[in-house]
Amino acid sequence: MSDAIPLARPEPTAAVLRCEGLRVGYGGTPLLPPIDVEVRAGEFWAVVGRNGSGKSTWFRTLLGLQPPVGGRIVWPSGDPRISYVPQRTGFDDLYPILARHVVAMGIDRGWSFLRPSLLRESPEVGRALGAVGAGDLADRTFRSLSEGQKQRVLLARLVVSGARLVLLDEPTAAMDVVAEAESLRMLDELRRRYGMATIVVSHYLGVARDFADRVILLDRDEQEVVVGTPREVFEHAAFRSRYGEPEDLLFHG
Amino acid sequence: MGEPAPSWAEFASAFELFRDPIVCGVLAGVVLGYLGVFVVLRRMVFVTAAISQSAGLGVALAFYAQIHLGQETAHPVAGALALSVLATLLFAAQPERLRVSRESLLGLAYVAAGAAAVIVGDRITQESHDISAILFGTAVLVRPEDLRAVLGVGLFVTAVHLWWHRGFLFAAFDPDGARVHGLPVRLLDTVLWLLVALEVSVTTRALGALPVFAFAVLPAMAALMASGGLRGAFPLAALLGGIAGGAGYVLAYFLSTPVGATQVVVAASLVLLALPVRAVRGRA
Repeated sequence: MSDAIPLARPEPTAAVLRCEGLRVGYGGTPLLPPIDVEVRAGEFWAVVGRNGSGKSTWFRTLLGLQPPVGGRIVWPSGDPRISYVPQRTGFDDLYPILARHVVAMGIDRGWSFLRPSLLRESPEVGRALGAVGAGDLADRTFRSLSEGQKQRVLLARLVVSGARLVLLDEPTAAMDVVAEAESLRMLDELRRRYGMATIVVSHYLGVARDFADRVILLDRDEQEVVVGTPREVFEHAAFRSRYGEPEDLLFHG
Repeated sequence: MGEPAPSWAEFASAFELFRDPIVCGVLAGVVLGYLGVFVVLRRMVFVTAAISQSAGLGVALAFYAQIHLGQETAHPVAGALALSVLATLLFAAQPERLRVSRESLLGLAYVAAGAAAVIVGDRITQESHDISAILFGTAVLVRPEDLRAVLGVGLFVTAVHLWWHRGFLFAAFDPDGARVHGLPVRLLDTVLWLLVALEVSVTTRALGALPVFAFAVLPAMAALMASGGLRGAFPLAALLGGIAGGAGYVLAYFLSTPVGATQVVVAASLVLLALPVRAVRGRA
């Protein structure tokens, strides 16, 4: 499905993130070779690799949830304005929290929660829900939504966060095929509209093939880090040794 | 033939006697009801029990210091607060580093503090046979200084909670997302539980462990079942907690039943009343 590859790529602009010889791991032991990448505004990155390949470790290091083992992460603008969509299993269904309140959380950063706004609701929340076609979900509880609807609400949260870089961990897990395709199209549209650099971890290789500008393959067992366009990575020996040459990944034309 | 049931006229004429414990029960119910929403959502209902026991140990240590060590300034409320804070810091630490669950640390705090309080209490109860009456208050009569403490701490805890509410909620619902947004998640967690410890220790000292445990769990359960959203659950839990505290006392007077236990029964009845509301609301 070559025509699914977006034709109109955003012009590469300012770098929002650089990993310089970044080593990720635990307890001072690196899991992977040094990682050198530069992520630019509006770019869509897909992170591929099998279970235990180091994807989550790299992700958590970028997010600041664990320290690097070596090298460094550089935020060229000086302000790592990141937002994150965790796996849906990370949310506890005990909370009867409304969708619009989940979106509103995206506005707070640092100590801004101390600014009183208990009774006032930002108009940005309604606008963001509208932008992802979820205006009618505003007053539903988050837990009562389908996986696809939850994803829309979390995308609206990304929009209000004003993030320069967004990271999504398996955003389409537990979705049916239709909801998955719809979610990814929406994510692609949002990053174009708002110029957000987007990094997505996914088991679904179609994300890399159909949407990504750049792909990073992580392989802890073979100690490989491969970075390139989707075609470059899919044709790389390290990728083929792991995934073979599945017919549906071939690029035509 | 038992004694005839007391009348409203008798209740009204002697209201001065009941005013302080009723006010205390209502205040404790309101504040603990509100905090209870976090306690229930964080799956930490035994936090209250562990803090109560620790507060009891603090009181016992303060009395011990007064009687046996000549420390006249060792105040029971200060002892209760100090040990509650220590217990809170224990389970607010990162239990995953010890490869145990937070629940097990709660169990440790509960049982170790309970046992230590009995041992220390044994050294200070030459006159009294009822150690629990010394360590914990009773909801029947409330000392004026306890009422002042419940009022002051209740106002302080409520004010901080209303101010920091968004931070507490973001850190609880989506801790990783909150960390990525730069919120001080560990500090928020620690402050949340310290405020719970503060409220539980002063209310336990005034009312006793049983109603305090009930106020911190049952009104929040009922409110979460009956309410359509989280924002409504907080005021509803506070209201139901206040009802349990106040109505429980009045009911105990008319039925001649123990006050603390009656307050618990009223709170539990509110959970039962919330069941049909939940059923009507369906899966929302």
